[in-house]
Amino acid sequence: MEQEPTPEMPNKEMLNAFIDGELAPKDMERIAALLAERPDLDQWVRRQEEMRVGMKDAFSDLLSAAPPDRLLAAAKTAPLSWRWRIKRFTTERVLASAGAMLALGLVIGVALQPPSEIVTRGGQVMAQGALATALNDRLASDGYAGAGARIGISFRNRDGRDCRTFEAGAQSGLACHGDKGWAIALLIARPNAESSGAYRMAGSEMPDALRAAVTASIAGEPFDAAAEKEARDRGWK
Amino acid sequence: MEETGSPAVKDADMDWSDEDIRARIVQLLPRLRRFAAALTGSIADGDDLVQDTVERALKNLHRWEPGTRLDSWMFRIAKNRFIDTRRSHKRSGVVGTEVPEDAPAMVSDGARAADARLMLKDVAGALARLPLEQREALVLVSVEGFSYRDAADVLEIPIGTLTSRIARAREALAEFAPEG
Repeated sequence: MEQEPTPEMPNKEMLNAFIDGELAPKDMERIAALLAERPDLDQWVRRQEEMRVGMKDAFSDLLSAAPPDRLLAAAKTAPLSWRWRIKRFTTERVLASAGAMLALGLVIGVALQPPSEIVTRGGQVMAQGALATALNDRLASDGYAGAGARIGISFRNRDGRDCRTFEAGAQSGLACHGDKGWAIALLIARPNAESSGAYRMAGSEMPDALRAAVTASIAGEPFDAAAEKEARDRGWK
Repeated sequence: MEETGSPAVKDADMDWSDEDIRARIVQLLPRLRRFAAALTGSIADGDDLVQDTVERALKNLHRWEPGTRLDSWMFRIAKNRFIDTRRSHKRSGVVGTEVPEDAPAMVSDGARAADARLMLKDVAGALARLPLEQREALVLVSVEGFSYRDAADVLEIPIGTLTSRIARAREALAEFAPEG
């Protein structure tokens, strides 16, 4: 049976912890005092300390050397997770407020004029007309083809419903499919809506509240192009 | 320049933009290169590993938890990628880690370059003789300056396992290396 090591009777792991500065200050002192009386242990510790320094020195020039261009290029230009762009906003307290609004089933608007494609039916805010058609038929890759809404991302929510983000006129929103069609879960005024025809990055231009709403309700990954098309072709869940 | 395993930038300074994250990864490149060189045994192989690590990290950034250490997360990716690569090399019959004769000089000064190359080669050669689990534990603590707790976190092992791996690694290195 092995005896529990003490600073007076240290084992190698304790001496290693001493070398690495991982002991409590009091134990560091006690080991240091012990080494003064035990040349055998002292020699072992010194040798290990030399090896530790040597090992670090051997690689130290890599720290001051400029990284090769290919590594700099990778860090600066390699594709970045678009889900990160959604996730990072959850750290900015948007999630709490947007999540609460979603839970209450509220549709929010800032100086919002609900377009005629959005109506209240049976206590639910529903898409109709061109917006409903776009949500049913359009793919994200279609962009602004002609009139109507542009589709952002599509995903399955935690209730098992298919949901899609959209931009229509000066508004952005999130709609989830149900038995009676597309229910509007969130509708907000879009900043800089006048630039709506220009090419924009889907991730970076998504309003914060919408991002947060997606993050709060998504189950798993958003649909890729194939999954989006498949969901459309089978008529949305 | 002395460095530690502690994060260079606090979360409070982060604005979480793409540019911010990329700049942070650029800052980490020297430490990642050192870690990867020590793991693989050569600067060239290490740089391949770093490139793979950076690309993976950016692609999977949503898996990183803001508020936790970005450096630890990237070191963990590097370690896991190295293990994966070794496995696939083993399957395809490629021989394991070797220290190449032509490891590039790390400093321009002639004599010092030769010394540095020799040192890197010797140390990398000794490290390469250690089992990987001992090598990664020792490198994180002795070269990268991680605390036991943070190193155990990178390797996803209990601290007790980490300390026993370090102890075994140091015993083994003392046997390989001639008395100085």
